[in-house]
Amino acid sequence: MNIFISGGCKNGKSMYAQKLAKEMADARGRALYYIATMIPTDEEDHKRIEKHIDDRCGWGFKTLEQGINICDLLKTNIDPQGAFLLDSVTALLSNEMFKSDGTCNLDAGRKVAAELSAFAKGTGNTVFVSDYIYSDAGIFDTYTEKYRESLAYVDRQLAQVCDQVIEVAYGHTYYYTFAN
Amino acid sequence: MILIFGGAYQGKLEYALSTYKLVEKDVYHCDMESMVINFDKKIIADLEKFVLACVKEGINAKECLEDNLEKLQGKIIIFDDISQGVVPIYKTERAWREMTGRCMTYLGQQADEVIRVFCGIGNKVK
Repeated sequence: MNIFISGGCKNGKSMYAQKLAKEMADARGRALYYIATMIPTDEEDHKRIEKHIDDRCGWGFKTLEQGINICDLLKTNIDPQGAFLLDSVTALLSNEMFKSDGTCNLDAGRKVAAELSAFAKGTGNTVFVSDYIYSDAGIFDTYTEKYRESLAYVDRQLAQVCDQVIEVAYGHTYYYTFAN
Repeated sequence: MILIFGGAYQGKLEYALSTYKLVEKDVYHCDMESMVINFDKKIIADLEKFVLACVKEGINAKECLEDNLEKLQGKIIIFDDISQGVVPIYKTERAWREMTGRCMTYLGQQADEVIRVFCGIGNKVK
């Protein structure tokens, strides 16, 4: 089952997603993968990554590092029948949109939406975690606004291909289904 | 009156058009530079921009909506929910955020139906 999870910052999305991914792997007796999307650029990033690794310690995750071109993972020696946790869609889009050489791909939303949809279809067992960044009362610069619009586009496309769409709000979970 | 709200880019207008079988020409898009609302259209979208236009002019947007409540009957009103981010640094944005919340609360009370759209999915909350 493919699952899409979103919600506000520090609402318990990652922990909930870890649980769902582990349950999927256990139920199927298959490998449990964590797709690490963050590309560290400084000491603060390395520390954050260490904290995430500690959080997952003992869960049985195998870490796959893939910060861009997510579908390249499908060409590697992984078990596509395993359960995958991709945390987060937000970081992946950021990597694809704002390149380390300083350039910006304004069309990254379409690329990421297409690739993540293909990844969902290719595995059938992925939990995607995104961030709900759409209820600010700010008037943002063009690049930030384009990023919000692109992430929302990716979220909506993913919601359509996933079997479950879940919002996590302060530890509570809400399940959504399309009317038809 | 139907009130549809949700975060930015969640597919609120698309949801309204497909659910109520309407087209773009049925929509009035509010403008952050103008306090005009075209009540001839079936859908009044981006009402938070109307609120911002009012705030900039020092006009109470909620009172404007109260005065025009009759004209809003039978309409589909679409709002961006801007209530959940960091408190804005600028005074105008703070006032905009608060007034949008007040207007949404008021219209939510008046509406026959209230729908929140999340990731393109409509969820009836009233």
